[in-house]
Amino acid sequence: MDAGNAIEVSGLGIRFRRGRRGRRSIKSMFAGSKRRDTKDEFWALDDVSFTVKPGETIGVVGRNGQGKSTLLKLVAGVLLPDAGTVQVNGGVAPLIEITGGFVGDLTVRENVRLTAGLHGMTKAQIAERYDAMISFAELEDFQDTPYRHLSNGMKVRLAFSVVSQLDEPILLVDEVLAVGDKAFREKCYARIDEMLADGRTLFFVSHHESDLKRFCTRGLYIRDHRLVLDGPLADVLDQYNADNS
Amino acid sequence: MRSDGSHGTVGAPGTLRRNLHSLWLLSARDLRVRYATSWLGYLWSVLDPLVMSGIYWFVFTQIFHRSTGAEPYIVFLISALLPWVWFNTSISDFTKAFSRDAKLVRSTAIPRSIWVGRIILSKGVEFLCSLPVLVIFAVGAGAVPGWGVLWFPVAVLVQVMLLTGLGLIVAPLCVMYRDLERTTRLILRALFYATPIIYSVTDLPDGFHFLGLINPLAGIFTMYRAAFFPELWQTGPVVTSVVVSVVVLAIGVWVFRRLERQILKEL
Repeated sequence: MDAGNAIEVSGLGIRFRRGRRGRRSIKSMFAGSKRRDTKDEFWALDDVSFTVKPGETIGVVGRNGQGKSTLLKLVAGVLLPDAGTVQVNGGVAPLIEITGGFVGDLTVRENVRLTAGLHGMTKAQIAERYDAMISFAELEDFQDTPYRHLSNGMKVRLAFSVVSQLDEPILLVDEVLAVGDKAFREKCYARIDEMLADGRTLFFVSHHESDLKRFCTRGLYIRDHRLVLDGPLADVLDQYNADNS
Repeated sequence: MRSDGSHGTVGAPGTLRRNLHSLWLLSARDLRVRYATSWLGYLWSVLDPLVMSGIYWFVFTQIFHRSTGAEPYIVFLISALLPWVWFNTSISDFTKAFSRDAKLVRSTAIPRSIWVGRIILSKGVEFLCSLPVLVIFAVGAGAVPGWGVLWFPVAVLVQVMLLTGLGLIVAPLCVMYRDLERTTRLILRALFYATPIIYSVTDLPDGFHFLGLINPLAGIFTMYRAAFFPELWQTGPVVTSVVVSVVVLAIGVWVFRRLERQILKEL
């Protein structure tokens, strides 16, 4: 891989099963992906290739169910491709399914230590940034509350403030921020702006044109599970709107 | 980049140090959840083998006149029941290794084998914490450990290999086939009586010696017992237990590689 790239994706493809119903034989499970029986499966992403330079801000556009979130998960390394490769230079701060990393029975304080640690922060770093995370999430009075007693809004706030304190050079954002209230969303956006000013790479999935325009300069348009356009965001949005009007 | 960003992290993603850090964090979390949500806490990891030992001791020394095992029988029982509890609880937890933490698995890009490893480690810590019980009963019964105690760490190592191999097979298969959860429980129950726990490998009747040879737990438990019961030592089962554990581990690694991408899609 070219060390000058932040993300390198080539010939990327992934298949999913169409239905859960079809019984799967043990034999087909162990067969290599090339030999496998594929009539029950479809390509959720097919032959996608692109490279991203450090500091680029990329918005992924496409209708629901076309593979945008799948692409993000492949870049984050939480799904593995059936064809092609994804290479990521440096760590990734994933804002996808962010509330998933927390454990209901543990307190806010314990959860912060666990999640931050799993994302690679040392004890010292966590201790140093703990107060900032709590105050960003506005949870000063709930530090010893079990996580499951928090409201949904509080959960998202906590998750965002932990992941946004990571030093990873690449930031992946799925449509998680649609959940919070307006004031908190503004705060999150300000934080993302700050991180981008640090020179981080952004990979952003959204349906909101205004959000895309605010953060991204380059766009990827995914239609029918393929990458159909890779170019300046304005062009990509024009094409997308033309296709869907 | 923030100025303190480069030097402070726990190794880059994918490095051994980072993976061990994740493994430890998840195991510690499992232990904390277990102890934070029940006020009996530590007692639970000791109570289960203690009650079982009590029952078997009562049944086999007070009611039936036992011809199996060795004296003192309570020490004989506990020395195999404690590692059995480690084995049993690990295997039952493997069936839910991914489904219980599905959201976390879907959102963190750590090597997926860590989800199996953290169970072995956290249950292993509980096992080590329950060892004082064995010491107390040994002292109470006047049993003196010999040089065989040196086999103890070997037994732990072989059991870790066996558990890792089984976990890498059971955990992903349970994501694909939910029925396997119940099947596993049934197999575990049968395995308890097929394993020299309430009896010794030397008690297996003619025609059943193969049980001690194919069941790796027989050899492992022989090693655990070597400290107090050197007269029960049998080299055959010990050797085969090591061989079987290595083979199971190799199969586990192969199976896990094959199934990894599919379980991620399935979660």
